[in-house]
Amino acid sequence: MALEKFTYDNKLAKNFAVITIVWAIVAFLVGLIAAFELLYPSVNLGLEYLTFGRLRPLHTNAAIFAFVGNGIFTAVYYSMPRLLKTPMWSKLLGQINFWGWQLIIVLAAITLPMGLTSGKEYAELQWPIDILIALIWVAFGINMIMTMVKRRTKHIYVAIWFYIATFVTVAVLHIFNSFELPYSFFGSYSVFHGAQDAMVQWWYGHNAVAFFLTTPMLGLMYYFIPKVSNRPIYSYKLSIIHFWTLIFLYIWAGPHHLLYQAIPDWAQAVGIVMSIALLAPSWGGMINGLLTLRGAWDKVREDPVLKLFVVGVTAYGMSTFEGPLLSLKTVNAISHFTDWTIAHVHIGTLGWNGMMIFGMLYWLFPKFYGVKLYSRSLANTHFWLATLGMLFFAIPLYFAGFTQALMWKQFTAEGYLKYPNFLETYIQIRPMHMLRAVGGTLYLTGALIAVYNLFKTANAGKFIRFQDAEAENEVKHVEHHKGWLNHRKIEGKPVTFTIWALIVIMIGGLVEFVPMFIGPFNNHPELTINVKPYTPLELAGRDIYIKEGCFNCHSQMIRPFRSEVERYGEYSKTGEFVYNHPFQWGSRRTGPDLAREGLPFDKGGKLKKPDAWHYEHMINPQKTNIQSIMPPYPWLATKDIDMDIIPAKIRAMQTLGVPYPEGYDQKAVADLQKQAHGIAEGLRKSGIEVEDQKEIIAMIAYLQRLGTDIAN
Amino acid sequence: MSNEKHSNYSVNEDSQYEIDTLTNDRLLKDHSYDGIQELDNDLPPWWKWLFYLTIVFGIIYLVRLWVFEADDLVQNTEYKIEVDEANRLYQASTLSQNTELEMKVLTDANSIAAGKDIYDKSCAVCHTADGGGLVGPNFTDDYWIHGNTMEEMFQIVTNGVLEKGMTPFKDQLSPQKRLEVLSYIVTLHGTTPANPKAAEGDKLDWPY
Repeated sequence: MALEKFTYDNKLAKNFAVITIVWAIVAFLVGLIAAFELLYPSVNLGLEYLTFGRLRPLHTNAAIFAFVGNGIFTAVYYSMPRLLKTPMWSKLLGQINFWGWQLIIVLAAITLPMGLTSGKEYAELQWPIDILIALIWVAFGINMIMTMVKRRTKHIYVAIWFYIATFVTVAVLHIFNSFELPYSFFGSYSVFHGAQDAMVQWWYGHNAVAFFLTTPMLGLMYYFIPKVSNRPIYSYKLSIIHFWTLIFLYIWAGPHHLLYQAIPDWAQAVGIVMSIALLAPSWGGMINGLLTLRGAWDKVREDPVLKLFVVGVTAYGMSTFEGPLLSLKTVNAISHFTDWTIAHVHIGTLGWNGMMIFGMLYWLFPKFYGVKLYSRSLANTHFWLATLGMLFFAIPLYFAGFTQALMWKQFTAEGYLKYPNFLETYIQIRPMHMLRAVGGTLYLTGALIAVYNLFKTANAGKFIRFQDAEAENEVKHVEHHKGWLNHRKIEGKPVTFTIWALIVIMIGGLVEFVPMFIGPFNNHPELTINVKPYTPLELAGRDIYIKEGCFNCHSQMIRPFRSEVERYGEYSKTGEFVYNHPFQWGSRRTGPDLAREGLPFDKGGKLKKPDAWHYEHMINPQKTNIQSIMPPYPWLATKDIDMDIIPAKIRAMQTLGVPYPEGYDQKAVADLQKQAHGIAEGLRKSGIEVEDQKEIIAMIAYLQRLGTDIAN
Repeated sequence: MSNEKHSNYSVNEDSQYEIDTLTNDRLLKDHSYDGIQELDNDLPPWWKWLFYLTIVFGIIYLVRLWVFEADDLVQNTEYKIEVDEANRLYQASTLSQNTELEMKVLTDANSIAAGKDIYDKSCAVCHTADGGGLVGPNFTDDYWIHGNTMEEMFQIVTNGVLEKGMTPFKDQLSPQKRLEVLSYIVTLHGTTPANPKAAEGDKLDWPY
């Protein structure tokens, strides 16, 4: 068979590699600023755009989609042509992928600080950007699939299996979780409500971790570790088994983010069981990565690239051991809503994602520029700073999470909460948060050293854009395989492979969602709660709550524990959230839970405060408590509620099934003004000068409404 | 990449395998992607057993929940058990210590210090740290809305003033603690706060 000649074009991979570094620095820096805001609320300089509630989504989006996202594209566009012995199918689609993705990131960096958010974690971007993401992602996928179709190798390699799973699953997750009904160009409501929305969101959220931060990284690992170490993959059989089991099981695990919350026991149980079963498939990846290095450990000692890979894969093993552990109800009862989760995810991102991507960059830059790495010792310094940074980040947060959870749960001998004041439990862990900021600083410093090192490397050489290659076209070869090797057949049929991957990842989601969309979805069947739709003012307040990102620090989900019921009031019921588009249960209690903030004491409430207190507290939290780390929100008292949009919001809610009376959209503004006037009058009587139409009035109305339906 | 065949290690006539010289493991023939080869190692046995074990765990878990509705897996039952247990425990302990608390200002340094600690954590958010008042009334002046005897104040701290937003502390503070914090509040009378709130209520004699 004749050898065919072709050329690899490195330009796209190089561009993605460069932009990866830029976004890495941005993501780490924003994260560090957010860490300092939790220590000193004045770090936001009094600007609404820089409050923790708006910056934290920017940090997570930048880390996941900008840094890791571009890292993934770098790996795919570099490795795929070489693994398939053909250039990428379309340069145009590649360009669209590159510029489209950067545009999305820039739009995110503008809209998130502006408070344009859908209020769902890791999916905060508003609907026009969601559509753009879907289009760009499909362009990426088509280019991959067509490249596989045009390949010269007979089979597709395991790295590409993971790339395929990444493409199909992220497409499904993103599109389904982004079903939202727009009421304006930059506003929309999730079509799912309450517990339903929570299930969809964490199916998405968990699998964003699985299929954006894990499977493409495994693809990266399967190409770069054997390539850099020049060693064969440890076990092909293990690749097959752990690939299919991993993608099948992962998709089920979402409900483990909702343990002890207002979703049915069966859904929680399925989430737990599948998460536990994920341990071995996850470790299959780690084993295959680390054992591939057998016979090359001498190189690992020398080569900073391999060192980064080894720590990266080890961090993967640690966090995938911890994941199932955190999915056990007994552990989750402690870990959830605390810093434990924050520590866990940062082992994943700083360790697994960060180390793998930087390792790849240290190897690629010399290849791109035809020179040796500028400084091996600087790369080693980076390695140590990154490793120490990760540990300094995570270990204090483990202590912090554990400490705070125990304080929340501790009772005195007489049966009172030992620490009834929430802030006290936060002050206790503040030193740990300082250490975390030190860890973040170390990690960022390491990354800055990498920037310098890679810049000097690029500067020393000249970019080698085209690389000639030759290969036989094996696609038409006939083969006969038996036993395990039957998998070879499907490896020779990439489109069939893609369809199978799609089927496998759909099963878990379907089984978990179908019951939620057909039957009644309630874990408290004995209870009928007379839930009323939000008044227009409360709805406006809720949208401000979402805009300010309050859910980044305050949960609205009281779990059925005595300690939480004592502190916050009756535990949350599924039915209470039926008009919540989107749900706002939150995932970390940096501040206290607000699920029953408005419930009066004589109705079982524990926390209700007068309107005047809410006013004073939001304008200046340090006035009500000097140690509070909540930033002041003075702009709420100067900005007007957007009245023009109210009818559209009411109509959108009606479309989603919220039972406002026919034609209510036209009466809503009058109702809003009436309710606002009542609240503002009360405040004026307490000596607070405020106008009826200010945003803070809507916020107060919303907060005073929270959790009160149970009293109806 | 060497394509040389090691016939001494091949397992069938197609000579399916070559050998990796560093580990002596079998390499799969025709598995070469951009120079990356793959070994034909089996699944590590401990890994397989780990996987089986987690599956067995899952089956047992689901059976316990769905068939036996085990108490420790059904969320609402778990909660009921926890609360029942607590009630049993504290009924016994409150019965034993249910002696009448004397409504008397505590003056010893320890009680005052304990009272201040509670005040700073629970009261200062509305009455400010120096007692000058913010949302809640001023403690430093001579004016009182609901009386200033120990009995009256104890009643307020215990049951709150719902219409004004005063929190009932009966679920948060033991009677002894309520007495301590009131004893501390008494010490604030007559002090000069930074931003005193305007007087509310009636001017009353100071009984202490």
